[in-house]
Amino acid sequence: MIGKLLSADFLKIKRKGFLFLTFLGPFGVVALQMVNYGVRKDYLLQQSDDDWGYYLSNISSFIPLAIVLGIVILTSLMASVEDETNAWKQLISLPVSKMSAYLSKFTVLAVLLFFSSVLLMVFTLAYGLYLNLGDQLPYVELLKNSFYPYFAAIPILALQLWIAMVSQNQGIPITTGILGVIFTYSAFVLPDWMIWKWPSLMNEWNEPIINVMLGIGVGIILYIAGMMDFTRRDVK
Amino acid sequence: MEYVVQTENLSKRFGKEDAVVGLDMKIKKGEIYGFLGPNGAGKTTTIRMLLGLMKSTSGTIQIFQKDLKKERISILQRVGSLVENPSYYPHLTAYENLEALRKILGVPKTRIHEVLETVRLSDVADKKVKGYSLGMKQRLGIAAALLNNPDLLILDEPTNGLDPSGIIEIRNLIKRLPAETGMTILISSHLLTEIDQMATTVGIVTKGKMIFQDSIDALRMYAQQKVLLKVSDSEQAWRSLLGKGIKSEWHDGIISLAEHSNEKVAKAVHCLVQDGFSIYRVEEEKRSLEDIFLQMTMEEKVR
Repeated sequence: MIGKLLSADFLKIKRKGFLFLTFLGPFGVVALQMVNYGVRKDYLLQQSDDDWGYYLSNISSFIPLAIVLGIVILTSLMASVEDETNAWKQLISLPVSKMSAYLSKFTVLAVLLFFSSVLLMVFTLAYGLYLNLGDQLPYVELLKNSFYPYFAAIPILALQLWIAMVSQNQGIPITTGILGVIFTYSAFVLPDWMIWKWPSLMNEWNEPIINVMLGIGVGIILYIAGMMDFTRRDVK
Repeated sequence: MEYVVQTENLSKRFGKEDAVVGLDMKIKKGEIYGFLGPNGAGKTTTIRMLLGLMKSTSGTIQIFQKDLKKERISILQRVGSLVENPSYYPHLTAYENLEALRKILGVPKTRIHEVLETVRLSDVADKKVKGYSLGMKQRLGIAAALLNNPDLLILDEPTNGLDPSGIIEIRNLIKRLPAETGMTILISSHLLTEIDQMATTVGIVTKGKMIFQDSIDALRMYAQQKVLLKVSDSEQAWRSLLGKGIKSEWHDGIISLAEHSNEKVAKAVHCLVQDGFSIYRVEEEKRSLEDIFLQMTMEEKVR
């Protein structure tokens, strides 16, 4: 059943700009470094002996913002596909469980964001190679840099999807989303337990993997809570 | 008797407001069941509960003799529905809209062309639904409801927004389906004339309560005419009729006969003539179904 729902959901997001946004996020992040390195490459290369590492840290400073912003826009857009003509009543009148309908929406977004992360890795590597940052390619760091923030951001995805799915008014998820973006922007001063800090991979132990584990664990909990709440409610 | 839909004591409460109260609905196989009621009477709420879109506050729903709570998915496999305004994805074409539903229903692709043909949208199948007129969107909604060849078709106000020719077309389609496919149809409307022309059985609901549920012929019985007599010296004439044991009423100088078989009317006239009253007019007053419907729903308000 979930396979059928997924292929229907991928059909429904056609011509809605989902793929464009999926591309725009990682491209934007790398494009900012294109400007940065394009303007003052010599200065930046002087800043550190590890040119690749320094380049990756520059890239990573914009990843959390891009991911959180992307999540807010995509979740709301996803809900609006069904909200626009109140197609929820049509979807749920089909022989599908509400749980799988919710899971399908979540999966589509998770897949799109994962695809974004893959693109981020490709763009990062490509521009890094173009800059000629040295022969020692830090593959492991590159993978971590591209995918750790994705896993750490799953709780935000689960939360925003929940709010977007059950809100009659998309103003509500947009509001919480903007707050989330502000939180993410100020990740440096946030306490470790705030989920908006996690995509920045900062914590007091300096172990990014903790954020990934927390992201997956809390993400699953928030996902289940959202799905239960969605199932319990009468269809809009 | 096997019922396709059977609800018992079905109720739905929104906060403090009762939307549906103790509704017992019985729909037999192959019927076109007209679900009538004024706006806000609880028709759509009932239909939403039948589809599992809303949970009932109390009561049970059985469709195809299965409990909706336990076997919702296997029931919905055999149900097609159009609830309120048609839902569609405006950025997709009609074909893609149906394809999105078809993928979930798992019926063959040829079915899409068939239903588009049925509602006469084949020519515009590759245009985005955004640009459709309301009537076309409504027809697309009906096509979507027919997609899985349902055994039970639930249509909530299906002729909303259609022009007269569209209404006739949909009406003919609805009348045809049970005969051709053995489909059972539940159709709601706030217009009695609409239901009158299609339904075999009628349920009238007002303020969340079912106040009438029987065949359309039984409803027509209520529409029985009265025979009115306009005579000279009507009060005396009325008394003389009563004196002869003929049941009648007197009101504003007009006598109305309670019984109106040919013989009874002839007898009353005969008596009056014999007693020397002049008879000016003998006329029949027909009450339209519309009047009955209004009266039924009004009575409920007074109570």
